[in-house]
This record gives sequence, C-alpha cells and structure tokens, in this order.
Amino acid sequence: MLEFKNSKPLTLGVELELMIVNRHDYNLTRGSDDLLSLLARHRHGYDIKPEITQGMIEIATGIHEDLSTMRHELGEIRALLNQCAEKLNLGLAGGGAHPFQRWGEQRIYPKERYQLVSELYGYLAKQFTVFGQHIHVGCPDGDSAVRLTHFLSRYIPHFIALSASSPFYQGADTLFQTSRLSNVNAFPLSGCMPQVRNWEAFNHYFGQMHALGIVASMKDFYWDIRPKPEFGTVEIRICDTPLTLGLAPLLAGYARMLAHHCLETGWNRIEPALYLPYTYNRFQACRFGLAGDIIPGCGHERISLLEDLLGTLDRLSDSAHALDLDDCRLQLRERVAKRHNDSDWLRAQYATSGSLSDTVRHQSERWMYDA
Amino acid sequence: MTLPFASTSLLNPLTALGIILALGILGGQIARKSSAIPTLTGYIVTGLIIGPHGLGLISQPLIDTSDIFVQLALGIALFEMGRRIDLRWLRHERALLVTALGGGAVCFLALYLTLSLFGVHQETAAVLAILALSCSPAALLEVLRETRAEGQVSERLVTYAGIGNLLALTGYCLTLGWSRQNGGLALESWLLQPSWTFLGSAGIGLMAGLVAINANRWIGAQYREAQEVLLFALIALTVGLSSALHMLPALALLIFGLSTRNMPSGYAVGSPWVMRYSVVFFAALFVIAGSRLDLRVLGDHLPLALLFVCVRSALHILTGALMAHANGLARRCGALMGLALMPMSGTANLALLTSPALLPASASAILPLAIATLCLTELIGPPLTQLALKLAGETRPHT
Repeated sequence: MLEFKNSKPLTLGVELELMIVNRHDYNLTRGSDDLLSLLARHRHGYDIKPEITQGMIEIATGIHEDLSTMRHELGEIRALLNQCAEKLNLGLAGGGAHPFQRWGEQRIYPKERYQLVSELYGYLAKQFTVFGQHIHVGCPDGDSAVRLTHFLSRYIPHFIALSASSPFYQGADTLFQTSRLSNVNAFPLSGCMPQVRNWEAFNHYFGQMHALGIVASMKDFYWDIRPKPEFGTVEIRICDTPLTLGLAPLLAGYARMLAHHCLETGWNRIEPALYLPYTYNRFQACRFGLAGDIIPGCGHERISLLEDLLGTLDRLSDSAHALDLDDCRLQLRERVAKRHNDSDWLRAQYATSGSLSDTVRHQSERWMYDA
Repeated sequence: MTLPFASTSLLNPLTALGIILALGILGGQIARKSSAIPTLTGYIVTGLIIGPHGLGLISQPLIDTSDIFVQLALGIALFEMGRRIDLRWLRHERALLVTALGGGAVCFLALYLTLSLFGVHQETAAVLAILALSCSPAALLEVLRETRAEGQVSERLVTYAGIGNLLALTGYCLTLGWSRQNGGLALESWLLQPSWTFLGSAGIGLMAGLVAINANRWIGAQYREAQEVLLFALIALTVGLSSALHMLPALALLIFGLSTRNMPSGYAVGSPWVMRYSVVFFAALFVIAGSRLDLRVLGDHLPLALLFVCVRSALHILTGALMAHANGLARRCGALMGLALMPMSGTANLALLTSPALLPASASAILPLAIATLCLTELIGPPLTQLALKLAGETRPHT
C-alpha cells in the first residue's frame, strides 16, 4: 500500500539531467565520480547526484512557490557545478541526447540500483543515457494527483515541443525534434498511467503489479507522467533538458498554471477516450515539434500544435494571474509565437560548422554561461 | 647471433615490414590475453626477440628501412600529446601547472645532484636529468587508448607528460648552449645555434598549426576524411622539414598539436584521436623500438640505471601525492598518476642521443647508461602505467 504524502498544492521542484563532456572532442566522458568527489569538498547542501551512466549528472531544486527563487537556486547550483567542472576541465551541457555518443561506450554508474537496472534491461540501460527535465507539482492528496496526472496527459505534446532539444542521435540527424523519447519507449513499463480514477484504484493497480513481481516501487514505472507519493507530487518526465538554464523554470511555470487550472476547476473527466490520440499526439510533437498537428481530444478537429499551445496559454491567463506567473506565460507565448526552439538552434549550429563536436562545444558554453 | 636466412635476398624492406607487423601483432595478442600487460609491451618484446640483439631475424639495415613508420608514429603521438595541453585549462587550473613545472624542476635537480654524487660529469648529468623529464607520448597514449581510460588521473597525466616533454626539450636546448659555452665555442655555436634549434622548431610547429586550422576551416568539417589526410600530411611534413633543417621534430610536433588546440578557431581541426587510424604505425614503432633495445648494456649499468629509474619514479609519485589535493584528486590517485609517468621516451631520446650535431660533446659518454635506463622504462613502464590507471578506477572494467 502506497501512502501519498500530502504536500502544499502547486509547489514546484525540478530535476535536470546534464551531460558531462570532455573538452577534447566534446564526447560524453566518465566524469560524474570526479565531479561529485570535488563537490563533496564544498559545503553546499544542494541535491546533486549521479545518474545511470557516468557521463551524466542530475541536479534537483528544493520546493519552490516562486519561479524567481527556483531560478536563483538553479543559478547557484550551476555556478558551483561550473566551478568544479572548470577545475576538472569538463564541460556540462543541456540537451535531451548527446549528438554523437555511442551508447555501447557508456559505463553504468556503480550504484546498486543502476547495476540492477543494467542486469535487467541489458543494452537498454546504456541507451538510457538521455537527459530530461522532470517537473514536480505538489498535490494536496492522492486523488488530486491521479486527476492531475490524467489532466496533464492532454498537454504532453506541449511540453515535448517546448523543450525539444535532441535532434541528433548517434551521430545522425534523426529528423525528430526530440529523439530522446524513443529511448524511453523501449522500456516495457513506459507509456502512461492506466485509467484509474482515484488513489485507491491506483493503489489496487500497484498492489497487483507488485504481487506479480513486475514492480518493486514507483521508480519502476517509466511513465511520461506519474504520481510520486513519497514526495506528494505529480512528476512530469517528458521534457528534454533545455539548452539554457532559463527555460527550465518556465516549463515548471507552465506545469503550475495547468495544475492550477485542473485543481481549481475540479476537472475530473477521466475516460478512455482521453487516451485515444495520446500516442499520435506524442509522436507528432516528437517528430515535428511546434510544426506538428495534434488531436486535442475525441470529437475534436486536428489542430496545429502551435495554435493549440498559444490557445492554451491564452486560456491560462487567469491561472497565470492568480499565481503571479504572467511574466512566465508571456515569455512562453513569445517563444512559441516566434517558433524559438532548442532543436532548431542545434541544427543551425551544425549547419554552420558541419561538426557535431563543435555543436556540443556551443551547447556546453550555452548551458554553462548563458542566462 | 644472426639467423642464416636473415641476410638472404628474400628479406627486403617489404618482407621485413611484413615480419615486423605480423610477429608484432602475434606478440601483442599474447600480451593482451594476459590482461596485465599492455599490447605494446608485447610488440616491444617481439622486437627484442627478432631484432639484431635477439635472434637476429631482422638485421639492423632492414629495420632502418622501416624508420619512416617510426617517425610518423612518433609524430602522430607528439602531435596528439600537444593537442592535449589545454592552455585555457592551465590558466584556470594553476595547481596542475605548478605540479608539472614544480615536479619537473624537483626531478631535474634531484637527479642532477644524484648523478653528480656518483661522479657523473656535470653536463652529462644535466643531459640525463633532462631526459628524465620526458615521458613517452606514444606509450602513454597507446595505453590510454587500449584501456580506454577516462578520468582525472588520465587527463592530468597526459597534460603533465606534455608539459614534461616541453620542459625536457627546452632544457635540452639550454644545456646544449651551456655545454658549448663551457667548451669555449664561439657565440654563434653556443647561443645562435641552440636558439635557432629551439625557435626554428617552435616556428615550424606554429606554422603547421596555422596551416592546419585555416585549411581545415576551408575544407569544412563535413569532409572529415580530407581533413584527416591533410593533418597526416602536415605531420609528415613537420617531421621531415624539422629533421632536414637539423631541428627538433619532437618540439615542432608538440607545438603543432598545442597550437591547433589553443589558437583561435583551433576547434576546426577535428577529432584529436588521429591515433585511432594509426595502429599500423604504432605496432611498427614499438616492435622496432624493441628491436633496438640491447639488454647487454644492463649488465654493466644496471645498478645506476635502476637507481635513476627508481629516483625518477619516486619523485613523480611523491609530487603527485603531495599535490593531489590541490589537483582535486585523492592522495592515492595523485600517487598513481606519478607512477603512470614511468615510460620514458625511448625512441625519441635515442634519436637525440645518437645525433652528434644535437648533443653536447661530453654527453656521448652517457650513452650506455641512457640506453640502459631507456631499456628499463620501455619494458616495465607501460605495464605500470596500465596498472596505475586500473588502480585509479579509470580503465574499462574488462581490461
């Protein structure tokens, strides 16, 4: 029986998985141990930890009610990481997938859970060397978390298109705006939460899966959105890590506005039809980003993702105002209207230099030093 | 001892190269299967066995016909090592710069004094102590490539070794001038010639770097193969030109690599792992290096050579351990970095030592001792480098 730890509604936290690259050819490098050892010499109190392979590192913020404090904390973490990375001659970079790393060359981090994942999933574990932003939104109770998880599934294409930053994979242009999610799809427990209606039903489902020996904890579900009972949150796991630190809080702000809208309006339309266009919309967003077409729901006409996103941002103006997120909403709106996109930026870099190494060099400089 | 067929007409430069490579690969694989010994040690031992000082399967003149492979392999390794010296990092990470410069100074002084205590002539002691600052780029990079080692020990090791080689080559020019001044030679001989050797070598390296950067920008990264062939051509040109002008090819190539890494737009020069296409050259290099080793010199000079090697290594280990914290390493890892610096640049140093034009007059007396030292470090150096990297946890688990 999972107990949902109630948390203050609409509080936020983000986790960001970052690339650790060398500065010879900007390939991923085994740097997390060295970085963590050096970080341990500083008394920082930040949540910085290893990820499944040794060319990755994860940072997480505390709980925030305000985007400016989140941005400030992320800035502080980045400054500390930069200081250590500079000493070790390592680069850090955002982006959903490293453009030319070879998955077979990655090394699993020597931690029991990761070793178990590697034993169970074989090469999928190393292919999971992809980099995402996870957004946690506080929920008052388990039932609200289940509702919010279903509600957000409709908006998954928006998060994908806003954060897409992995057009290159294994040395090739995938033609996708985000290639990262294809790696997640390979896991048997990926996808979306089953259509349970409340926390009790969710617990029943979890109990059955646990009894069958399929899962041991919530961590075994690789869903796009999942309740996180130990934190009292709903966790959105669909975003690529942005190329700049500034976008991460904006994505969190968008999640907060949506959550506010869901909880305030008492949304509860949990029905099978909700998920009919889910994989189609998800694919469109991954492949085409803002230029994709989506089906907002059963009985709805196909609509451009960009149009749907702008319309949603407009509809969220009351929530934005109530949460003091007007600036966030306007920044996102401007970004969408101008079709600003990290994947396009990466492709432009590659078009200029013709070198993926050089593209990652720019990518790293952007993450480490841009606002 | 020489086998009877070694001098028959069946052995021409091509069959000799074929034998060198085929037997070298065989020896390398035997070493690899032991997992404790790097492949390159297998190459060296193979060379030792088939060379003129072993079974005599390949004669010295035939080995010399393959010298072009040796020159190119050394050129590639030195270029690559130069590329690993990141001045931007060194400006930021002063601890590493201080460790490499300070470690070099301490190593030089300690060995100079030790050798002087054992009655070795001042100039000769200086030349030997300077040789001790060098570290074999080919051996280090080949062990790193084979073990696929990654991490701070590997990173700092290569930079430390690169700075050590630069120090050794600079010190060598200074010693040459000093020696000639002591010998009462004219200004032209003691000041201008060493200066010309040093500055000319650096100039050639710098020019090659500028050409590489601009030509690579013009070609474009989409045409990686053309860029790589061009780089290879420039390495060959740099070796050839600096040798023809009686300069120091090693210095020219280090500067060439260093400039492509550190000059504006240097990123246009692609992947630093030119080495990955150079396995043939490296196999030939190490087999030939082994064939040139004459272990008989160890008989007469073993104690002093052993002392030299032990003092050099102890100083590196001590420097690494003492400066570990400042370098962001655990003390044990700092010491392991020092241990990994064991291989000395045998082939390059031998070329230097056997070139009368580039050697202080009195220094020819140290040749046997230097060869004995190089024999020791060529044989035990690479396995110790591999062991150090493995103990530091930086090699791939299966190696």
